[in-house]
Amino acid sequence: MQGLVTRRWLVIAVPYAWLLLLFLVPFFIVFKISLSDVATAIPPYTPTFDLSQGFAGIADFLGKLDFENYAFVLDDSLYVNSYWSSLKIAAISTFLTLLVAYPMAYGMARAPKGWQPTLVMLVILPFWTSFLIRVYAWIGILKKEGLLNLLLVNMGLISEPLTILNTTTAVYIGIVYSYLPFMILPLYASLEKINPALIEAAEDLGSPPWRAFWQVTFPLSLPGVLAGCFLVFIPATGEFVIPDLLGGSDTLMIGKTLWSEFFNNRDWPVSSAVAVVLLLVLVIPIVLFQRNQEQQREAAR
Amino acid sequence: MANAAVIGSNAPSSFNGGSSRASPRTPAPQSNFAPWKDPARVPIVRFENVTKRFGNFVAVKSCTLDIFEREFFSLLGPSGCGKTTLLRMLAGFERPTEGRIIVEGQDITDLPPYERPVNMMFQSYALFPHMTVERNIGFGLRQEGMAKEAIAKRVAEAMEMLELGKFAARKPHQLSGGQQQRVALARAIAKKPRIVLLDEPLGALDKRLRQQAQFELMRIQETTGTTFIIVTHDQEEAMTVSSRIAVMNHGELAQVATPGDIYEAPQSRYVAQFIGDVNTFEGKVAGVEAGFVEIEGAGFGSRLRAVAPEGLTRGQQVWLALRPEKLRIALERPSDSINAIQGKVIDVGYLGSISHYHVELASGQTVTALRANSARTVERAISWEDNVWLEWPAETGVVLTR
Repeated sequence: MQGLVTRRWLVIAVPYAWLLLLFLVPFFIVFKISLSDVATAIPPYTPTFDLSQGFAGIADFLGKLDFENYAFVLDDSLYVNSYWSSLKIAAISTFLTLLVAYPMAYGMARAPKGWQPTLVMLVILPFWTSFLIRVYAWIGILKKEGLLNLLLVNMGLISEPLTILNTTTAVYIGIVYSYLPFMILPLYASLEKINPALIEAAEDLGSPPWRAFWQVTFPLSLPGVLAGCFLVFIPATGEFVIPDLLGGSDTLMIGKTLWSEFFNNRDWPVSSAVAVVLLLVLVIPIVLFQRNQEQQREAAR
Repeated sequence: MANAAVIGSNAPSSFNGGSSRASPRTPAPQSNFAPWKDPARVPIVRFENVTKRFGNFVAVKSCTLDIFEREFFSLLGPSGCGKTTLLRMLAGFERPTEGRIIVEGQDITDLPPYERPVNMMFQSYALFPHMTVERNIGFGLRQEGMAKEAIAKRVAEAMEMLELGKFAARKPHQLSGGQQQRVALARAIAKKPRIVLLDEPLGALDKRLRQQAQFELMRIQETTGTTFIIVTHDQEEAMTVSSRIAVMNHGELAQVATPGDIYEAPQSRYVAQFIGDVNTFEGKVAGVEAGFVEIEGAGFGSRLRAVAPEGLTRGQQVWLALRPEKLRIALERPSDSINAIQGKVIDVGYLGSISHYHVELASGQTVTALRANSARTVERAISWEDNVWLEWPAETGVVLTR
């Protein structure tokens, strides 16, 4: 009995230890740096712990920490605009991803049962290639003399090559492409669960297919829609690689701003503050996502 | 079964003669209800040579069937016999490969489900999980664009009829199986369709609830005056609720008749064996005389005598079907018996009201006889290893040619 209780605690302790070590500790390091001041040193900030001074050193260290970086970040329009623009781009691309993913997930859920595992595998297949390489591939497709323009010009649809690369449009394309599986899989999971007899019942009671979709299928797939949207929106907000490779100079995203703050300006404290604020911004959708998952579990019971 | 016997005793002319008794509100007692015997009556549903193939598999084979208004019609058969496919074709979920389906004189073969005057109660109930009981029942009415107050009134009516009032605000997952079944039925009748289709409606209920629900179905069918078409594999259920039963086998209609006729006058061994218990004796026609046939066979010593159907020829292979309750079992050979076979009791099942006797004949065939335990004590009870005589009058057996 005693052993059983201990083992049960161990099972719970492992994931918490994991979170503590790999999330909470790094977060506190970042948070601590965000309260520091920039300095030309290694590491490039002050104050640092000086344990040789004993307790006085720690008190001195704590006394030098302040929130001035946060005041700076929230005051400077570059950062505020970056946050705002990131949220906007993430929201629009989440919606676009939903538009693309829904018919695909619906088709998968309606496909013959024997095909479905294969279709799911095809959705996951892109993960077998490095994310970075896949985004690079889009440069080859979208650039002025790229595959897309070549195709459109040869088909006679356009006379001049389109400028897509290095615009926000390219960022949208990149995000929709990269995050599509994260939208399709939860959508498919919720659509696949819907009893086909429900659609038949709706039609039997006088609802044409299109209305039956909006009255029955879509409401029942909402948990999947929400889960998919959060899974795309949350990482897309902090996305760096896609806007960096595909976006232009006018594409303002917080991930890019953070990167240049960190590597170009070598301002670790400010970039840490940017990261902490980004996390706070994302806490709201993350909490909503958790609640959605919770409700799902409740409903399943 | 009592109900079945009443229907079976119909005189052919009873429907025509009974028209004055039938008022539109309360349908005539079932014993007077036999529209299928009136050649002038137009059926409410007509399947015309309907065939349905799925790839190479023939689910329904050139089926022609008339169903009349206010019937409680059962499609009965083992799984895979095509009964559900037939029902789904009527609902519009499957398109016949060949043939036509006519409802109230209109060819509906090409109509989509949402334009058909039928509503279905699904085997899985198919209640919308995201809607309350009230909204589930009102779903069909909302599709018609009916006024809100009118919908509320009709929903309340349906809920009252099925005693669902206190569950109005609940979601389906908060209901028991029996309650869900009633919601499904309420939803199917809320639009007051001319025809209600029921696909194994009571399959998920336990036996006691099932019997209650059967009588509820009959009550609803009678009070609403709707035509009910039910698919079931449960022969007792079909016997209890139906005005007529279509017994199906491998996509074909084996027999369409009242429960009484199906039981007492089956047209084939398949039907006889599917409904109730039956003993069959295989033999050849030895002679036909004055409406009776003499059958001789290896399985029994003396010739057996039975009422002859039309068109028997000498030497033809036939089967004599006998219901267990029609056999009399005795220790001595009754002196006046017409048909008697000797055998040995190998098993006795005492069920209180009745006893089953399994009697092995000399040929090795086992025959089942039923006896009602009408007396509390018997001088000499029939028991294992007893040599007994099975005896029956010529009128009780049915001669089958297939």
